[in-house]
Amino acid sequence: MTQVQLNSVRKQFGDFVAIENLDLYISSGELVALLGPSGCGKTTTLRMISGLERPSDGAILFDGRDVSEQSVQDRNVGMVFQRYALFPHMTVEKNVAFGPSVRGESRTEIARRLDEILEVVQLTPFRDRFPAQLSGGQMQRVAVARTLITKPSVLMMDEPLANLDTKLRLEMRRFIRDLQKRFGITTIFVTHDQIEAMELADRVAVIFDGRLAQFDTPERLYRCPRSLDVADFMGATNIYPGKLLSRSRVETALGEIDCPHQNDRSVGDSVHVLLRAEALDMNTGPSASEPPGLRGRIKTRDFFGASVMYRVVCNDREIDVTENARRMLEVGDDVWLQIAPEHVWLLSR
Amino acid sequence: MTARERRVRILQLLQLMPILSVLVVLFGGALVMALLQSLGFAPWFGINTFPDLSYFGSLWGSRTFWVSLWLTLYYATVSTLLALVFGTTLALALIKVFPGKRLYKYLYKLPLMIPYTVGIALAVIMLGNGGMLSRVAAFAGMIDDPGQFPQLLKTHYGWGIIAVYVWKQTPFITLAVYAVLLGIGRETEEAAAILGARRGAIFFRVTLPQILPGIVSSTLICFAFNIGAFEAPFILGGGFPDTLPVVAWRYFNDADYTLQLQGMATVVSIGIVAGMILFAYLWVYRRYERRMGRH
Ligand SMILES: Nc1ncnc2c1ncn2[C@@H]1O[C@H](COP(=O)(O)OP(=O)(O)OP(=O)(O)O)[C@@H](O)[C@H]1O
Ligand SMILES: [Mg+2]
Repeated sequence: MTQVQLNSVRKQFGDFVAIENLDLYISSGELVALLGPSGCGKTTTLRMISGLERPSDGAILFDGRDVSEQSVQDRNVGMVFQRYALFPHMTVEKNVAFGPSVRGESRTEIARRLDEILEVVQLTPFRDRFPAQLSGGQMQRVAVARTLITKPSVLMMDEPLANLDTKLRLEMRRFIRDLQKRFGITTIFVTHDQIEAMELADRVAVIFDGRLAQFDTPERLYRCPRSLDVADFMGATNIYPGKLLSRSRVETALGEIDCPHQNDRSVGDSVHVLLRAEALDMNTGPSASEPPGLRGRIKTRDFFGASVMYRVVCNDREIDVTENARRMLEVGDDVWLQIAPEHVWLLSR
Repeated sequence: MTARERRVRILQLLQLMPILSVLVVLFGGALVMALLQSLGFAPWFGINTFPDLSYFGSLWGSRTFWVSLWLTLYYATVSTLLALVFGTTLALALIKVFPGKRLYKYLYKLPLMIPYTVGIALAVIMLGNGGMLSRVAAFAGMIDDPGQFPQLLKTHYGWGIIAVYVWKQTPFITLAVYAVLLGIGRETEEAAAILGARRGAIFFRVTLPQILPGIVSSTLICFAFNIGAFEAPFILGGGFPDTLPVVAWRYFNDADYTLQLQGMATVVSIGIVAGMILFAYLWVYRRYERRMGRH
């Protein structure tokens, strides 16, 4: 188990800055996702941690020890490549045994560990096949097994699920999480799918344009994004400019809304108000108790099976509301929206 | 076979006709003629003792034929191997990033466009006694006089011949291997490094097996050419006994035109030897491929 630390790491390709001042502290045994749009520097970060790429500046520490000068071979990390990078001329068995074999382990030891790991990834029946004779999910499990057999102190996976179909992806997500729990390896994986990041990771590092935007638990990232960009990337749609009327009430174009008490903001501050679509309650009449809520009319309805998304027009502004599909309201219905103050999140403007 | 299948088959044969006729006339026809002549069928010279094995008999029965065969194979093999080592090394270097790479990528291909004869002339200018190298060595004080420079050309060691072949064929092999290297990408090598493999292990266990198809096809072409090549051993070789293509040429060029049949027997012998070697090479490679799971 290894704790990984990046201290103001910077990477430049020619004049192009791919990573700018990245600080990251990953605890031992943690499962961390690097999340960000294409080209933001996720792969570059993994390549620097693995030693394939050398940072232009800053330091990378394993358990507090600087590994910047250590070669790839000596870092004892594991990497599952985006396109698996299996050795096409070797059988599954040879692919998996490659690591221990080049490290000079004894034949009996290799054979023992090979049997064990093939059992874990459920590939024993395929051990004599070549990569070209495997399905995407099987190839991926070979790539994982090939890495795990070397007992890496840090496991890295570059978009491990990107090439798989939906069903296989769910299966592999569970598989990866079980594996990580079982071996307790510090794991860093890259994705640009925020659902995947939230489902799998203990903590998520959101990267935009080579800069760390936020590093937090999935829940905090979703509920309390630190910037508009993060909120947007996490799929928030209901964001409105507003002004604080008091420390716990904010005025927006939709109407006045109660918010959590703002200790470090003062009355009159300009803010963005973030209302999560699933945190809004929709009533078909004004609430009997005070206050009545925001009045609106349903403009469109999208049915997703388990849930329904309505687009409601309130004071000429559109607002998305998601409900589970136990009832169906009709387009054109008048509705009253309410939101509990604890589900309102404010961002500085 | 149904009527429909038969129609399709006939159509396919018709479409193949042009290429088949070219093959038959150019290669098949020439080959058959060479074989017939070497077996004593040449009525246009007033000779017809077909079938007559005496031409092969006298050829294979002489010791010099075997020396010539050995020299032919030796020049061909050594230069192919050297070109392979240089070409592969160069290709491996070319996929790395280094300053001046673009210029270099253009430069290394130059020998491909320059004819062999120019290469031979270059070898004479550079490597001969009284050539550039000997003068430079004398100038540097390594030898007293250019004449003392070790004899590189016109010996049976064939340094000159080998130098010309290697000079011409290294870029060819580089080109072939480089293309394959670009195709396989760097990822498997990087994966191997992360798994703990050092440079040697990465090359021999990961890179080499993947570039082998490129190596086999390019060395095959070079070797086949080297066995049949004539100018370089003729000009730069060590004289009697010559390589087989030169021997054949001498027979063809002899005032006694009946020796043409002996020349044909030589040509057919070259064909047989080259064919056997190339087939053996391909057979071994196919077995290896099958072991690697490729079909
Ligand atoms: N070797 C290189 N030379 C020059 N630029 C590079 C190199 N490698 C990466 N880059 C640039 O650095 C930036 C970050 O690349 P990186 O591969 O880390 O992106 P990513 O976040 O993994 O994207 P994706 O999700 O598309 O895989 C990109 O703009 C890319 O063009
Ligand atoms: Mg990437």
